Amino acid sequence: MKEDKVKKILLFLGAAFLIIFCLAPFVWMLVVSFSKHPDFLSAQSSFMLTVNNYIEIITTPSLHLLRYLLNSIIVSLVSAFFATFFASLSAYAITRMQFPGRILIPLILLAFSMFPQISIVGYLFKLMTWLGWINNYAALIFPYITLGLPLALWIMLSYFSQLSTELDNAALVDGATRFQILQKIIIPIALPGAFSTFVLIFIYSFNEFLFALMLTIDYKARTIPVGIALFEGLHGQVPWGYIMASAVIAIIPIIILIAFFQRYIIQGLSEGAVKG
Amino acid sequence: MIKKFYLRIVFILIIFSTLQCSSNKKEFTIWIGGAPQELSFWQSVVNDFQKESGYKVQLVRQPTYSDQRRQSLIISLQAEQPNPDVFLMDIIWINQFIKSGWLVPLDSLVKKNNFPTELFFPKVLDPVDKLNGILYTLPVSMDMGFLYYRKDLLSQFGYNSPPQIWNELVEQSEKIQKAERKGNSNFNGFVWQGAQYEGLTCTFLEFIKSNGGRLMKDGKVDVTGKKNLEALTFMRDLIHKYHISPPNIYTEMKEEEVRRAFQSGNALFERNWPYAWALHQEKDSKVRGKVGITKLPHFEGDSSASALGGWFIAISKYSDVKGEAWEFVKYVTSFKIQKKMFEVMGYNPGRSDIYKDEDLLKKYPRLEVLYEVLKSAVLRPTIPYYPQVSDVIQRYVNDCLAGKISPADALKGMQSEINDISKLYEK
Amino acid sequence: MKNRNEFKTAETWQAYMFNAPLIIIALLFVFLPVIGTLITSFFRDVTFLPNKFIAFENYKELLSDGHFWQSVRFTLFFVFVSVTLELVIGLIFALTLNESFPGRSIFRIAILIPWAIPIAISARIWQLIYNYDFGLFNYIAIHLGITDQPISWLGSTIGAFFSIVISDVWKSTPFMTIILLAGLSTIPPDLYEQSLVDGTTMWQRFYKITLPLLKPVLVVALLFRTIDAIRIFDLIYVLTGGGPGGSTTSMSFYAYNFLVSGDYGYGSAVSVIVFILAALLAVLYIKFGQFKEVVS
Repeated sequence: MKEDKVKKILLFLGAAFLIIFCLAPFVWMLVVSFSKHPDFLSAQSSFMLTVNNYIEIITTPSLHLLRYLLNSIIVSLVSAFFATFFASLSAYAITRMQFPGRILIPLILLAFSMFPQISIVGYLFKLMTWLGWINNYAALIFPYITLGLPLALWIMLSYFSQLSTELDNAALVDGATRFQILQKIIIPIALPGAFSTFVLIFIYSFNEFLFALMLTIDYKARTIPVGIALFEGLHGQVPWGYIMASAVIAIIPIIILIAFFQRYIIQGLSEGAVKG
Repeated sequence: MIKKFYLRIVFILIIFSTLQCSSNKKEFTIWIGGAPQELSFWQSVVNDFQKESGYKVQLVRQPTYSDQRRQSLIISLQAEQPNPDVFLMDIIWINQFIKSGWLVPLDSLVKKNNFPTELFFPKVLDPVDKLNGILYTLPVSMDMGFLYYRKDLLSQFGYNSPPQIWNELVEQSEKIQKAERKGNSNFNGFVWQGAQYEGLTCTFLEFIKSNGGRLMKDGKVDVTGKKNLEALTFMRDLIHKYHISPPNIYTEMKEEEVRRAFQSGNALFERNWPYAWALHQEKDSKVRGKVGITKLPHFEGDSSASALGGWFIAISKYSDVKGEAWEFVKYVTSFKIQKKMFEVMGYNPGRSDIYKDEDLLKKYPRLEVLYEVLKSAVLRPTIPYYPQVSDVIQRYVNDCLAGKISPADALKGMQSEINDISKLYEK
Repeated sequence: MKNRNEFKTAETWQAYMFNAPLIIIALLFVFLPVIGTLITSFFRDVTFLPNKFIAFENYKELLSDGHFWQSVRFTLFFVFVSVTLELVIGLIFALTLNESFPGRSIFRIAILIPWAIPIAISARIWQLIYNYDFGLFNYIAIHLGITDQPISWLGSTIGAFFSIVISDVWKSTPFMTIILLAGLSTIPPDLYEQSLVDGTTMWQRFYKITLPLLKPVLVVALLFRTIDAIRIFDLIYVLTGGGPGGSTTSMSFYAYNFLVSGDYGYGSAVSVIVFILAALLAVLYIKFGQFKEVVS
């Protein structure tokens, strides 16, 4: 049927557009990172394959590249873990118990998630200075947990609300505490949801920029998005080869995550947003 | 519930352990920004210092642009961080930094070492590097505005000296521009910085002061007055009445654009900082050997005025190695290193004895002109909220140059906005 | 057996214990800073003078601040253009991914890449792509004969605006796609089958079935993205630094410049305006989102 043909063509075009759209900059970054001259597209220069960029940036201590990456990974792991954990606690209480504020808490948290970071960061800077946490992991971990809580809560809420309370009631009758129920029964069943949450919040924390820019000073606590944004190299003009190589290294954890867990990620995002 | 209690303890412990993650070793760090060649040079200075003093010093590279350098410094200082210990400041930030209490007063250190502060142009610099008589910072490199001119063209058309008065410059430009345009339609009489950026405030200051005008009155910013009006009108006339300056002065001309225009042989006169000299003498420069440098012209009955720019060195109040930091400050402002800076990078020293040194004068005769101009350089308003005021000035002056508003309206509008800003920052 | 009231109180108490970490952290690190910012906006708070309460002086200054209004115009215009493009392209992608075809999971990974890469990092890649002398776009433009002069992507006002839009659309379309895809998957396929029997064209099915049923999700996605786009900062900071001449300064970036130059009072005032804007949109979002039902 003619319509089928048209549909097939449209589908092909759509898919091609999608692949080129999404991957072009990514591929470009890879190509430049392996080329000796970043300006190889201009008439005076030519492309030459090399791994030199990677070797140099990893072995130059004053660039702190690996330290930035380590900082990012630690901060994101800790933030994601605690955000998921705290959100699970709350989600369980909200779906299983009656108390005043049951509906209010998720709504308020949702409102919080809409606050522009710029409206928070100014005072956060003063707070962190007062606590002495500037240029310390804590200055980033606590705000990142807070940033991740709304999404985490909504995802866990949707997962927990799908689980019937029969198991709960049975266990309660047997004399288990609420916390034991959460730990031994609910979490194992809702693990996929918790995992989605964890991965999502890891990614959001890893990518965060404004807080990291203002609350860290140097390599001790700086995260890699800030490190690469401010990358000016040590000698010579803008070292695009180095920057692209650093970018590739920086996103390796992210690429690994989405390659293995794309289903979890997409599920989590859909749950968190579409449930409305 | 016991389990929950356990968990909370573990949680608290984890948090405390993350707090200890950054070490508390003492580090001596110096924050400097700038172009890549500058950073390479500074690295060599720091390396030499480490060898001679035995201290371990880390040079941390800041962003290239002045504004970003200021912002990253402010974040660190506001957070009372032990790093950086030593840093460079653009002349226009110093007042804010001093008044914010971020700099270590240098008087006791100066006295202890018999440091020759009188060598650092006190008449010019005291309003900048001192507050209430206390010294907080020392100059490392100075910048002033100069008039560059084409020696060959002037003598070709019968002028044996560069113009001292603005009207002379106009006359010479009109005549020579008309002749040169026959063969080169891109030729302009006079190129200068008129784009909307900090450099425009410097240019504006120079024109005003060379007419006896001023920007400050009784400690407040006051841009009004007949002298200022005449000067601003003249600036606009250069483009729209005498046509010796092209329209892209106000759309895009900053230091490099001006330099390139002159260096490619497309201008008779250039207003620029000293850095352009070395570049004009480069092998592939079209004006090599044809360039003269002199004081900027002034209006009839007044004297030449040159805006002062420069970078100053200071010690952070929160530094954990203040003693060592002072050693570095002394090192950088010593005769030996200031001489090296001049010879290698073309930085104009903040020390007057370099300008008087006989050997150097023989090698670099232009030191004389530099000294003359530096001695009488003029300052932009030394107020802690200068960047915001400069922002207003830039906008209005640029609009006036573009012909969007009259000089009188520009000054009026400028003053009104500046008054609003000043009100906010009054005690 | 405990009586009912005691049971109720015990349960309430327990529920709050469960909620305590979340509540405490949210209060300390979101609620408190926002209140703090609001209060600071009523003060003259600079590094070189003692703080002084000045009520609405900062806001009065904002009203006559040309740069501030420039940032408002830029932000609103940018949001309008970007979100519209993201919606259209996102819909195209979602419709494509909704069909089953071989290798679909590779596409799903591909679409996550722009979203997952930190925007500060992808901004640097875009910086290179937009480079005047040897960037990818100018290379393509000249070699495909679209123009014979390189385009100043980042150096001209219009170029910079579209550079920001393109990079943001690249980054945010995946998110839109995923949400729309989820919405598409809730449309029962029998509706399509039924209309196939009735003999409708592809376009008719799209307009009469897909779009109307997708509308609630569309609205939610639109509002969500708009609230997000209003706060744009990372891209501006890395790609254009607010230039040229302040023409691509967003409201968040404008506030940021004051905060890091030591003027917390004025910077906070600008932040509050951004907050109010986002809050107005958020109210709309929560209203249209029908969130209350989910919780009960």
